[in-house]
Amino acid sequence: MNIPAGRKFTRILGAEWGKLVTLPAVWLILAGTFVAQCVVTAAYTSVALQEGPGMYTILNAGLASMKYLQAGFMMLGITATASEYTGGQIRTTLTTLPWRGLQLSVKHLALAMIAVPAAFLMAGSGVLYSLTMLRDTSADIEPTLMAASLAGATGYLTLTALLGAAAGAILRRTAPALVILLGYYFIVSPLAGAVLPDYLPDAAGYYMYAPPSPDPHNTLTRMQGTGISILWTMLFITAAVVLHRKRDA
Amino acid sequence: MRAVHAELSKLFSLPGIWLAFLIGVLGPAAFAALDCIAQKEDILAGITTRLPEVGFLGLGFGVQGVILLGVLAVSSEYATESSETGHGQQIITSLTAVSSRLQVLLAKAAAVSLITLLLCIMAIAAIVPVTRLILGEFAPAMEWTRLAGAMGYWMFTALIAFSFTVLTKNGMIPLTVLMINSSLVSFSVLLAKVTKLAYYLPDRAGIDMFMSMSDAYHTPLAGGLVMLAWAAVLFAIAAIVFHRRDARA
Repeated sequence: MNIPAGRKFTRILGAEWGKLVTLPAVWLILAGTFVAQCVVTAAYTSVALQEGPGMYTILNAGLASMKYLQAGFMMLGITATASEYTGGQIRTTLTTLPWRGLQLSVKHLALAMIAVPAAFLMAGSGVLYSLTMLRDTSADIEPTLMAASLAGATGYLTLTALLGAAAGAILRRTAPALVILLGYYFIVSPLAGAVLPDYLPDAAGYYMYAPPSPDPHNTLTRMQGTGISILWTMLFITAAVVLHRKRDA
Repeated sequence: MRAVHAELSKLFSLPGIWLAFLIGVLGPAAFAALDCIAQKEDILAGITTRLPEVGFLGLGFGVQGVILLGVLAVSSEYATESSETGHGQQIITSLTAVSSRLQVLLAKAAAVSLITLLLCIMAIAAIVPVTRLILGEFAPAMEWTRLAGAMGYWMFTALIAFSFTVLTKNGMIPLTVLMINSSLVSFSVLLAKVTKLAYYLPDRAGIDMFMSMSDAYHTPLAGGLVMLAWAAVLFAIAAIVFHRRDARA
């Protein structure tokens, strides 16, 4: 079929976008993540209030829920790609869009279009809540720091969703992809964090949104963290695209 | 008996079960080994308070394997096959072969419990030589009451994962919630800082069966009973829903 490259791109993007927004699981995951985010932020803020003034800054309490939020975005990413393999939808997809590399890359783009606003909304609501609750007890924070942390949090959650999508495309099954990612992010990394180097995806990503630490040793700057996280995500996406092109669907 | 046998053979032929075995058997030994190595100096100097916990820590995290087992046992029945084979779902076949729904559910729960028991025994058999090898004469004594507590924790967790998935029919949410909850950043531990009621959540109560954590709240027996109550209530709800619901959809 002879379609100009530009129109091909917009059509594929439209198709992938359409598939994602009509997937009930996507909206269920986003709603569930938002509810969990509210509960967790309320809990952290209440702990911060109990511990008294000065213990927690607003950003710490507002972004404390990030480590739970990342699970929601992993689920979002994995669903986006692995859902194609339940019921054989992938064969329909590849019949209508036979450009495999382009199709999978554009799917990641469509996912990012959903993940960015969702991530901003969730990280922002957490900070806003702790801002209103802790206004009297915590010291003021500079708007630039807050904007940078929010941007970092949004970027981190989006990159996590994209990494999840790539992992889902590599493994092609929801449960194993979820178990492996959650097992790494929630079990292996917290337990062996002291032994593992700082440039693994979750550790590097942490510096994208973490408030600057007073201890200058062994930490990355915000920009270094962002760069390393982007590299990890690109690595996973590239592996997914290469495998997608090579393998039998 | 024949239904249990059928459920066992279905479970053993699932590809994901090997991941569950890997996590459930090698995971605990690996965590116990890491913990032993990290604690060795303190133990030799006699200043650690966590000596009796080093092996049990592995059992606390190895439970991830049986969470996956309990979830897969149900979610695999609801996975839709490809359009080429008529969008079939295994659950329809299962309910045709064994027409009593309660019997299907009980047989499946029995099969999950049997494999969980097997996994837990294998995990314990892996932990004991590992701790002996690393710590020599300082290796913690494995009292059978605490080992029984750990087995109970594994069994109830598997059954909770099982019943939870009967309700959702999809493995994602039970996997995410339960895996995070048995990690270091558990929701229940966070909520316990806000309200004492959180000590009655199943995982928080169940851990008291075999770990004497600094913030232990229940006696081992009470913790076990709380968790048993959760497992029983969830299983009863799952049985009622499963009995009344249309199998498909």
